[in-house]
Amino acid sequence: MSAVSAKNAASPVERYKNAFDARWQGDDELTALRRAALEQFLSAGFPTQRDEAWKYTNLRRLESRTFTPADTSALDAHQSEWLTTAGTRIVLVNGHCLPALCSQKAQQPGATVLTFKQWIEHEPAAVAAYLKEHDQLGGNTLEQLNLAFFEDGVVVNLADNAVLDEPVYVVHQSTSSASQRMSHPRIFVRAGRNSRATIIEHYLGANDAEYFTNAVTRFEIAAGGSVKHFRVQQEAPRAFHIGHIQAKLARDARYSIHDIAFGASLGRSGITALLEGSGSHAALFGLFAPMGNQHLDAHTRLDHIAPHTTSEEDYRGIAGGKGRGVFNGKVIVRPDAQQIDARQSSRNLLLSPTAEIDTKPELEIYANDVKCSHGATTGQLDATALFYLRSRGLSESDARAVLIRAFAESILSTIDLAPLHAALEKQIDERFKLANEAKA
Amino acid sequence: MLTIKNLHALAGEKQVLHGLDLEVGAGEVHAIMGPNGSGKSTLAQVLAGREGYTVTDGSVTYKGKDLLALPPEERAREGVFLAFQYPVEIPGVNNVYLLKAGLNAIRKHRGESEMDAFEFLTLVREKMKLMQMDESFLNRGVNEGFSGGEKKRNEILQMAVLEPSLALLDETDSGLDIDALRVVANGVNSLRSPERAIVLVTHYQRLLDYIEPDHVHVLSGGKIIKSGDKSLALELEKRGYDWVKQEAAA
Repeated sequence: MSAVSAKNAASPVERYKNAFDARWQGDDELTALRRAALEQFLSAGFPTQRDEAWKYTNLRRLESRTFTPADTSALDAHQSEWLTTAGTRIVLVNGHCLPALCSQKAQQPGATVLTFKQWIEHEPAAVAAYLKEHDQLGGNTLEQLNLAFFEDGVVVNLADNAVLDEPVYVVHQSTSSASQRMSHPRIFVRAGRNSRATIIEHYLGANDAEYFTNAVTRFEIAAGGSVKHFRVQQEAPRAFHIGHIQAKLARDARYSIHDIAFGASLGRSGITALLEGSGSHAALFGLFAPMGNQHLDAHTRLDHIAPHTTSEEDYRGIAGGKGRGVFNGKVIVRPDAQQIDARQSSRNLLLSPTAEIDTKPELEIYANDVKCSHGATTGQLDATALFYLRSRGLSESDARAVLIRAFAESILSTIDLAPLHAALEKQIDERFKLANEAKA
Repeated sequence: MLTIKNLHALAGEKQVLHGLDLEVGAGEVHAIMGPNGSGKSTLAQVLAGREGYTVTDGSVTYKGKDLLALPPEERAREGVFLAFQYPVEIPGVNNVYLLKAGLNAIRKHRGESEMDAFEFLTLVREKMKLMQMDESFLNRGVNEGFSGGEKKRNEILQMAVLEPSLALLDETDSGLDIDALRVVANGVNSLRSPERAIVLVTHYQRLLDYIEPDHVHVLSGGKIIKSGDKSLALELEKRGYDWVKQEAAA
């Protein structure tokens, strides 16, 4: 047996252990935390479909690959897919910040933006304390994997009353490579009292690359703070993407996310909003569009911990080819959380007989003074509307594209950032082949 | 312009047209009248090419072409326009977008260049004025939340912008109050020209007070059973359809 096949014969968890040992040595506090997280991951392994939260998403293909931690790689220039927004741009290449590509106007008044590497360098004890508090316990096994391997990321600190006029734009760019690489970026945003900010995360990759992104994004929003989060997953076709998003909301805080997923071979976003302060509000908007053999999964969890908290959720899925989509929306209302208003809607469009979307609302309500509504529909393009458009001269494919765009528009129209809105419309049009003649 | 011979068609699985013949020449206005269930709407749908309607026999020739062989968009690009009895609401697609996409598809088919934005808006504004529609309708979803009358006006607006050679109006008068009827009729009359044919499918004579037809046909049991001039419509209004049916059966 050759050395290579012996390596491949190692079990998935052994391969991660080997990768860890090769990358992290020493016995400082942070490495000890990493090691503890690795141990948790090793003992639990990848989630399986026996786990209710992973019922529809099979990770065996991900598990079978041998991914090694990625080094940063030089990237000469701004990529055409990046958004041109004013404000602060941070570029992570294969999970490492590349300062040369970050925008110079990096610090907006009231905001401190650091890379995780910088934070670790300057305040290792604070980083360790933060990770201990937030990550050592709980979290799923893939979040533990992120903790074990993360190299870099972005830390945003908003002072009390800071209002950022321009967004903080974080690009996660994966580059072309012969070997299979993984990156575990981390984003942490601490929003002070009555602060306001917009954070965009954009995940992209070189077309031919097969890689694994396992990202953790955390928000802590103090009383009266408000954060708008846009997350655009546009990974390369062969990529694996797992995102773990958590927002903790204090009194009267607001958090909104647009969870957009177009890319990756297998993609999953897991979003948890913890409504810990009364008067807080979370809004989750999502659009996922699996085509070909893509599998895209959106798992959301709205946890109404405090009374007088509200949430709204609107997800739309579009599946074509043999695409497979999953939406799972869990709403929890804790026993003492009275006066809750939670609305959830999941609408899905199937473009082919072989496409599939599984949608599952889950309500766990332990209080009695609660308004919760949910609705889920799955259907095909409206034949009457298709005929109407064709009877006005639009080709069948254009008529379909126009209706698909209209379906997506109900989510896209809630995006108030013009460059992002335009880029996503373009994506939808390209994805569903809207020809020139129908462009208005 | 349009020759229909011995047309037999199914709506779903039901035989509705039983050998319909009709000849429509350029510049003419024809009214097809008939009781409910006589096949008026089926005829309109078959001509526009809607799925779910199957031609089992007969032929339709339009400008020398086999109309039935063309998909709906090709018919539209060749100049056939159907004003729907029940215009479809399409939230998320702007009215102006549909007008522009339709017009450009038709122009491209004719080998003409796309209209520039200024030219296009000038044209649309002029037609909206004719239809007494507020410009705010342009940026609303197609027929979304429109009243019955607004939907019908919007159909005629589309027709006025697309300038078809053959306009088919399926019960365009139904559900209109007298003022709206006048506006719609004005819009249709503005399109009358020696190159254009108009076919009005209607249950009532009322519309014909405003759009004067050259020919009136009675459709019953899936066939044209009587044809005449505009006086036939008035007679039908007075005497109903039974006498025509009896005459035809005799």
